[in-house]
Amino acid sequence: MNLLIASVPIVEKLSYLGPEIVLFVATVVVMVLGLSPNHGVRRSCAGVSIVALVIAGVMSAWLPTPPHSLLPNLMPFAKMLVAAVGVLLVMALSGTVDREYESSLGRGGVFDGLRSTRGEFYAFILFSLTGLMLCASADDLIWLFLALELVSLPTYVMVSISTSGTRSQEAGIKYFFLGALGAAFFLYGFAMLYGATGTTMLFGDGVTPGIAEVLANNVATNGNIGGIALVGVVMSIVGVSFKIAAVPMHFYTADVYEGAASSVSAFLAFVPKAAGFISLMLLLSVVGWGYGGENSSLPEVLRVLLWVMAVMTMTVGNVLALLQTNVKRVLAYSSIAHSGYMLVGLIAGPGASGAPLSQNGLAATLFYLLCYGFMNLGTFAVLSCLERRPGEEIETFEDLRGLCRSYPILGWCMVICSLSLLGLPPLLGFAGKFYLFTSAISAGEIALVVIMGLNSAVAAFYYLRLAGAPLLEKSAGDEVSGCPYRSRGIAAALSAASVVALLPFAGRLMSASDKAATIRSPHAVAAVEPNAAK
Amino acid sequence: MSEPAGILGFMTLAAEGGHGAASSGGPAWFAAVPLLPLAASILCGLTIAFRVKTKLPAVITVAALAVSFGVTVAGFLSWSNAGHATQIADIYEWIGVSWGSDAGQTLSAKFGFYMDGLSWLWMLFVTGLATLIALYASEYMGHDVGKGYGRFFAAFALFVFSMACLVMGDNLILLYLGWEGVGLCSYLLIGYFFQKPSAVAAAKKAFIVNRIGDLGLAVGIFLTFVTFGTVEYGPLFEMVRQGVDAAGRPLSGQWQEWVIPCLLMIGAFGKSAQFPLYVWLPDAMEGPTPVSALIHAATMVTAGVYLIARTMPLFLLDDSHFALTIVAWTGTITALLAATIGMAQFDIKRIMAYSTVSQLGYMFAGLGVLTSVGAAFHVFTHAFFKALLFLACGAVMHGFAGQLDLRRLSGVQKMPGWRIVGLTMLVGCLNLAGFPLITSGYFSKDMILAQAFTTPGEVIAGSRWIGWILLFTAGLTAYYTFRVYFRVFVGPQHFEPGEELHAADHDHHGGHDDHGGHARDAAHGHDGAHDFHPHPPGWAINSVLVILAACSFLAIPTYFMMTEHHGWVGSMVHSSTAFVESPGSHHVEGAHAERLGTFLGMDPHKVMYYVSGLVGFIGIGIAWFLHLSGRTGAATSRADALLPMLGPVPRWAQNKWYVDEFYEAVIRLPLWVLASLFHWFDKLVIDGLVDLCGLLPRWFARAIRPSQSGVLQGYAVGMAGGLAVILVIVLIVMGANV
Repeated sequence: MNLLIASVPIVEKLSYLGPEIVLFVATVVVMVLGLSPNHGVRRSCAGVSIVALVIAGVMSAWLPTPPHSLLPNLMPFAKMLVAAVGVLLVMALSGTVDREYESSLGRGGVFDGLRSTRGEFYAFILFSLTGLMLCASADDLIWLFLALELVSLPTYVMVSISTSGTRSQEAGIKYFFLGALGAAFFLYGFAMLYGATGTTMLFGDGVTPGIAEVLANNVATNGNIGGIALVGVVMSIVGVSFKIAAVPMHFYTADVYEGAASSVSAFLAFVPKAAGFISLMLLLSVVGWGYGGENSSLPEVLRVLLWVMAVMTMTVGNVLALLQTNVKRVLAYSSIAHSGYMLVGLIAGPGASGAPLSQNGLAATLFYLLCYGFMNLGTFAVLSCLERRPGEEIETFEDLRGLCRSYPILGWCMVICSLSLLGLPPLLGFAGKFYLFTSAISAGEIALVVIMGLNSAVAAFYYLRLAGAPLLEKSAGDEVSGCPYRSRGIAAALSAASVVALLPFAGRLMSASDKAATIRSPHAVAAVEPNAAK
Repeated sequence: MSEPAGILGFMTLAAEGGHGAASSGGPAWFAAVPLLPLAASILCGLTIAFRVKTKLPAVITVAALAVSFGVTVAGFLSWSNAGHATQIADIYEWIGVSWGSDAGQTLSAKFGFYMDGLSWLWMLFVTGLATLIALYASEYMGHDVGKGYGRFFAAFALFVFSMACLVMGDNLILLYLGWEGVGLCSYLLIGYFFQKPSAVAAAKKAFIVNRIGDLGLAVGIFLTFVTFGTVEYGPLFEMVRQGVDAAGRPLSGQWQEWVIPCLLMIGAFGKSAQFPLYVWLPDAMEGPTPVSALIHAATMVTAGVYLIARTMPLFLLDDSHFALTIVAWTGTITALLAATIGMAQFDIKRIMAYSTVSQLGYMFAGLGVLTSVGAAFHVFTHAFFKALLFLACGAVMHGFAGQLDLRRLSGVQKMPGWRIVGLTMLVGCLNLAGFPLITSGYFSKDMILAQAFTTPGEVIAGSRWIGWILLFTAGLTAYYTFRVYFRVFVGPQHFEPGEELHAADHDHHGGHDDHGGHARDAAHGHDGAHDFHPHPPGWAINSVLVILAACSFLAIPTYFMMTEHHGWVGSMVHSSTAFVESPGSHHVEGAHAERLGTFLGMDPHKVMYYVSGLVGFIGIGIAWFLHLSGRTGAATSRADALLPMLGPVPRWAQNKWYVDEFYEAVIRLPLWVLASLFHWFDKLVIDGLVDLCGLLPRWFARAIRPSQSGVLQGYAVGMAGGLAVILVIVLIVMGANV
């Protein structure tokens, strides 16, 4: 039976890829729709994208469990998360491109398909989300690399075309070159892993051993995973940390987020980050957490590396945000800091099997990703809803002042989301941080928890500014006006509502994350092997 | 802490109630009892947001509370039909923390209900009275429609929700939630007239004094958890029954067995206004009268009695009854002290407040002398007649523009439209005074008095003296109660409108003056009377008064039902955790009969009917002689002639024995001095350190800011350099490890 499946791996794999296929089909459809001379048809791009995401999300609920993955239940959770946040992202991204062109058409121009970017913009969104879903499905290094690049490549273009200004183009160029450098890092790391293990499969399929089994074997025989493999894993981690904007790969973040339109920044803050964390989870699960004193942590080298990266990332992100007056840069640095928080969950690891879910650090990271997706999107969506001049979004604290009076819904969305980013109870961000803390404490990482707590205190400074400006201060003038795209406001409101309303379900979401982040031991997979061969 | 902490199900919805306790599961619809008032509170909040200018909030609240009462009755009937077994309904997994698998390493508190006789008894009168008083308030608060009306009813409904959590909760944490919730609502409603500085001060006082008690309760709950490893009643009382702690060690002789009840007791003293924490309750009368009636007379202040009754097994753990002795004596002292203060006050609402404190003292004394039935029965009867008294006083206050001074009102009952108020007030007064045979207050008070004499002194130290003091206090109670009735409701007709009128038209009168003799002896007060006409209460107030008067009579027959348990209330208490085998009850009669206390050589339970009735008569008689017979005006009476004979004592009593001043000097002032010292230390030292800490991240940020130059090449170098550094470190660490 196993032999049969192994002989037709494509058939088996296609059964996991239903959501991706739906999104891909929608990508093609959207690309064509965007070229229609009919205005109404062109406008349907967003609707088609949302419908496709909803279908993909629903399909994710019934995905089969891959028999050989170390994280067998990750796929449905990750894909549903991507679909849910993706819907909000598409809503927030509406109207980002082609605004001037469409209005000139409205004044009586003739539609020229070459000048319209709408179709490709939505196609890029869907491509990137498809890549993200593929990351969760990845069982092979090459697949993982392609998926990661499928996430990133469209975003380079999205940044460049998101506004008509040169700042976006500059940001796009920076993002592209640095992204390519990051990709080079982890590709090199992947190559070394392949060199060390002789396979690109992350996990064995019961017949041939994968990287996980080879490394487990190395540990069983030599006591460590081997030098080349270790360097390969380290380079992969560092390379992938470009996607999550962790130190030392964080430099691009502020410039790119500032240059891109707010809604695209929201996209950048969630989609590549989610891809990065899912990839890190896969890569680390290959190495496993069965090392250290109580056999419950990563190999010491990796633990120290991630520890330092987490501390540096959260600290650098938070302190750099202190000095900013530009809200987009603040949120960019906050995005760096949150990556640092989420790394804590990876260090804590999945906990002992059968332990309470609060000890599962991977679950905490996944859950935090979900929380972060909503609250971060809420803040960026508010920014994208307001503009000083048509096409010029607000970006300073000055512009946010008195928002709760002039635009009460948007103002309160900003307040709620920034307080949630701060981790104030009773908002979703609190629950997210709570599980990160408990998992780290369970793993014995007390120092890390203390540093994270201190960082949260530092972060309070700018998050409270972000909440205080709309709520407490009086608006200076009246130069801020709402943008004509209602769906952006709806996205902001939905995000803020989720931040409040999901808290009673935090326990359920966390148990879902716990299920998604349950690790199968590679030894168990290896043990199945002889039976499977018969 | 042996293991790192972790949280099991952080606010997860319990998919199914998997309670391990032996009691039967209760239906989930019990949850409607607290949730309907909560919904009403939220809706009232929305009416504020939408600036509703009608009586809609009252309609919502009364309807929700009435349905809630209906659900309570239905639940009570289903519980009765199920044979009075304790029903536990788990609704929601509220808190679940686990840091290990041993006993005592899991903190679990469900949003669930522990429904036994005690909970049903309390919920029946809480929801029933809340419905009636909300109806009363719909008229009483009519002048605030569109202003504070929605706020009032939102807090009112929230109070009922909190009280339901307190009473129905199946664990001490939920009880604590309710406990703090009722405290919050009490604060909000005392400070309802927040433009009045005295109301704000009273609200703060109530909140702060309650904090002291709440601290005791909180620490008591912590210690309960640490000792027993659970806060849920089912497992907790099972362990108490076996007399073991979480680890299975016997508790006998351990310090916990008397410290836990003492801590819980402090919480009860705060909430139920017992000495020395009673000072907030009289001031709480700054709130609207319906609030005084519901929260500060009938329900919230009995939460302390409920707490002790609920955790009675914990109190009985200790064979020396250390905590219960304190409870008994505190109750007794409070009863006497408050009664003496009440005798010397002139504000009728304040007199009622002191009488509440005094009656609560009776309830605590009842608990202390081991008649939880008597205490619960007194709570039950007191709830009706004290709510009635407050509402009648409130009707007077409402009708006479805030006038509450018994020297400025007289003969109200004979004025047109005030007959119902006067008669129902008489019913309330008779109950409070313990008028024999026809009042429920007589029977419930008797139970406590008789038990105080019955319980031997070796069980509760000095129980005989408790009995005598309470008996004496019963006489004082009858006196001060009828002092109010004889002065205000009967006698020559006279009235002066209160402050609220002057506030309305102050142009013709320069404020209210208090100097003596002024217009006091005139049969028609000259200030205000020429353009002021008292407006008698409407149907809502009158019907509520009549219903409450009827209820206070209907409570009598319950005493003669189910006599094997001393009445219906007794049977309710019998099937609850509050049940305690009173010394001298027929279960143990015979074997220990010779050790029981007697009243002058007779069986207290039989003779007390006559003695307490007599004492009540004497008190009423003295009040009649001093305050009604031969009185010609409102301001003076025969009592005034007696006062000089007593020297400064009446003045001391009128000034509440200077307890507030004593607290001011002994507690508040030293604390204030200490706080000032800390304030300066905080300003000079701590703030400096904090500022320094605040600067550090900024300095760090300035230091690393140049790395964010915006130059692409710089970033690339940073990334590559970072990778290089990491690789070098990795190789070094690896070299060290391998």
